[in-house]
Amino acid sequence: MRFLLSAARKDLLRIKNDWPALLLWIGIPLMVGGLIVLVFGGDAAPQAKLLVADNDGTLIGRLLTGGFQQGPLADLVVVEPVEPAEGRRRMEDGDASGLLIIPEGFGGAVLDGEPAALELVTNPSQTVLPEILEETLDIELEAAEVIRRIFDDPIDRIASGVVGDGLPADTAVSTIATAFNRSGEQASPWLLPPAIELETVAGEGEEFDFGRAFFPGMLILAILFMASGLSIDVWSERRQGTLERALVAPRSPGLWLAGKWLAGSAALAAVSAIGLAAGRWLFGIQAENMPLAFLWLALVGLALLALFTVVQVLARSERAANVMVNAMTLPLAMLGGSFFPFEAMPEWMASLGRLTPNGWALLRLRAVMDGAPEPGILAVSFATAAGLALAIGWLVSRRLRAWAA
Amino acid sequence: MIEVETLRKEYDGLVAVDDVSFVARPGGIFGLLGPNGAGKSTTIGCISGLLSPTGGRVRVQGHDVAREPRAAKARMGVVPQEVALYEDLAAEENLRFWGEAYGLRSGRLAERVRTVLETVGLLDRAEDRVETFSGGMKRRLNFGCGIVHEPEVLLLDEPTVGVDPQSRVRLLDLVREQAAAGVCVLYTTHYMEEAEALCDRLAILDHGRIIASGTLEELRGSMGERDLVRLAGTLDPAAVREAVRSLAGVEVVAVGEDQVALAVPEASRRLPEILNTVAGTGAAVRETTVTRPSLESLFIRLTGKELRE
Ligand SMILES: Nc1ncnc2c1ncn2[C@@H]1O[C@H](COP(=O)(O)OP(=O)(O)OP(=O)(O)O)[C@@H](O)[C@H]1O
Ligand SMILES: [Mg+2]
Repeated sequence: MRFLLSAARKDLLRIKNDWPALLLWIGIPLMVGGLIVLVFGGDAAPQAKLLVADNDGTLIGRLLTGGFQQGPLADLVVVEPVEPAEGRRRMEDGDASGLLIIPEGFGGAVLDGEPAALELVTNPSQTVLPEILEETLDIELEAAEVIRRIFDDPIDRIASGVVGDGLPADTAVSTIATAFNRSGEQASPWLLPPAIELETVAGEGEEFDFGRAFFPGMLILAILFMASGLSIDVWSERRQGTLERALVAPRSPGLWLAGKWLAGSAALAAVSAIGLAAGRWLFGIQAENMPLAFLWLALVGLALLALFTVVQVLARSERAANVMVNAMTLPLAMLGGSFFPFEAMPEWMASLGRLTPNGWALLRLRAVMDGAPEPGILAVSFATAAGLALAIGWLVSRRLRAWAA
Repeated sequence: MIEVETLRKEYDGLVAVDDVSFVARPGGIFGLLGPNGAGKSTTIGCISGLLSPTGGRVRVQGHDVAREPRAAKARMGVVPQEVALYEDLAAEENLRFWGEAYGLRSGRLAERVRTVLETVGLLDRAEDRVETFSGGMKRRLNFGCGIVHEPEVLLLDEPTVGVDPQSRVRLLDLVREQAAAGVCVLYTTHYMEEAEALCDRLAILDHGRIIASGTLEELRGSMGERDLVRLAGTLDPAAVREAVRSLAGVEVVAVGEDQVALAVPEASRRLPEILNTVAGTGAAVRETTVTRPSLESLFIRLTGKELRE
């Protein structure tokens, strides 16, 4: 048993001495993951979709939405007219960045200088795009107000011309909207409090939370890459002849392997602890969920290390082993929900991804970090991971002598 | 003591070790001499418990290696043919780990690590990583890792390959010191001079079989008082063999189209006679070598080939 500790100490020293490799194993997935999140994450689409439910059907509504189709905003915002009910349903599905509801009689109220209200429903899972919609509408409404006060007469004239009667051509609307937009920008510093109120309502559903959505995936990813990197060590011991030396010493090969895995687990646990601490600091993950998350990560790391070790000892050469382990790690990382969330995958891919060891581990980790693990499932998961590592350890250590010779 | 009885090891069809038996005693250096592929490392592997023999048995200090591997292994120190060290650890850490693997603890461990570092001349490099060592330094540390736990039996597999003459002398001295301290040393090599200088008992191995064994004196004696004469040039093997028959006491050891090896009593006196006889067959002799009786000549006599080919 003391040999177990000696072997673990020896391997910990070696892992420590090889710290640049450690940094790479952790750093590369985090970097790749970070990039992917930056590019695709947060706002699901690069364009904001604004649904407009126009219950009023007057020029003013068209002027408002026309403002979104001018200048740089035109590239960013797609306006789509919808029925109110359909609009609300699609917002619930997270299908658009915002839903603008123009109430009946809105146009008349504005032109008459009476208080009026607009409702903008925003998508809570997006951060930037809904804000753009809101800001733009604000500016437009302020501009409209200013213009109404300054150019009381012409607006009256427009009003008398359009309310009720046929609508002006699109080009005319656009031109006016542009004018509104521009004057709005210029006028905004000395704007009077607007009489039109924009009421922004955050839609149903949970707020987008980077920590929740991507952080567990990054943790699993670092553990996955690290376990695959650590597993290569059986070959380096074989190449260096130190495995042979261990086999002629009066100790069981099982202890030698257990020591190696103990050291690996300690390193994996250290990385998990640092990762969780960083998560708490950066994303405010719940402290009370951390101990269980830590245990789970360390155990998953050991189980992954065991799985990769099987591949290592099945390969015919060190080179083949490295190629095989790398060829496994990347698809596992891609499918396992760390880079692309399962929700964003086609269903067949998601169900495959949930079956990968890391995908399976990620689902449990999410549950633990949300503070909502099912005790039964969790117990079975812990037992499965530990049992897997034990069974593989037993099998591999029995084959170690034949493998080394 | 190492007792090897009718040891046999086969690798699907290929017989690497074929009915090998010998006994190596405490305080002595037993040499296992043979060319590449003779089966030296395989024999050592079967003794150390790394390989399972196909047949026969091995006892180390009275413990059967197959039945009581732990007891047998605890008494052995092994210095593998290929350097076996943790390149990414310091010399000291390597010794420390192997010491622990053989059950050394705390004070005793520290003391042994220091002593061995001193013995192999690496005390000043104790904290440096092995990857920064020269080949010879690694060889010395490789040896050190085999003796850190003070084994009663020491298995050395060609420990001086690739070592400069100075380090080699130092290593051979270390091996002698071990034997002098009562350790039973098994030493494999394909260097004749090394075996002659170091070993008190020897077995010559070829194609997995022991073709001669005994003390150095016994082996020299089996060569008789005859020297080895080698004539190189162009010759007709059958004619040479026939002609040499007329020479009293001269024996053909080996003959080919470009050289002949003869065992000759008092070769220096009889050289003119031999040259005349061989020349009489129409052979053109370019080079003549006379060697005093040695393991080399014995090996050539036994196998018809040079040891280092
Ligand atoms: N793992 C193996 N599988 C198949 N054949 C092997 C294996 N190991 C050794 N052999 C064969 O067994 C024979 C003896 O090899 P061994 O390594 O014992 O020779 P050796 O005397 O140590 O040679 P050297 O001086 O080159 O080290 C050789 O023919 C070798 O090819
Ligand atoms: Mg060998």
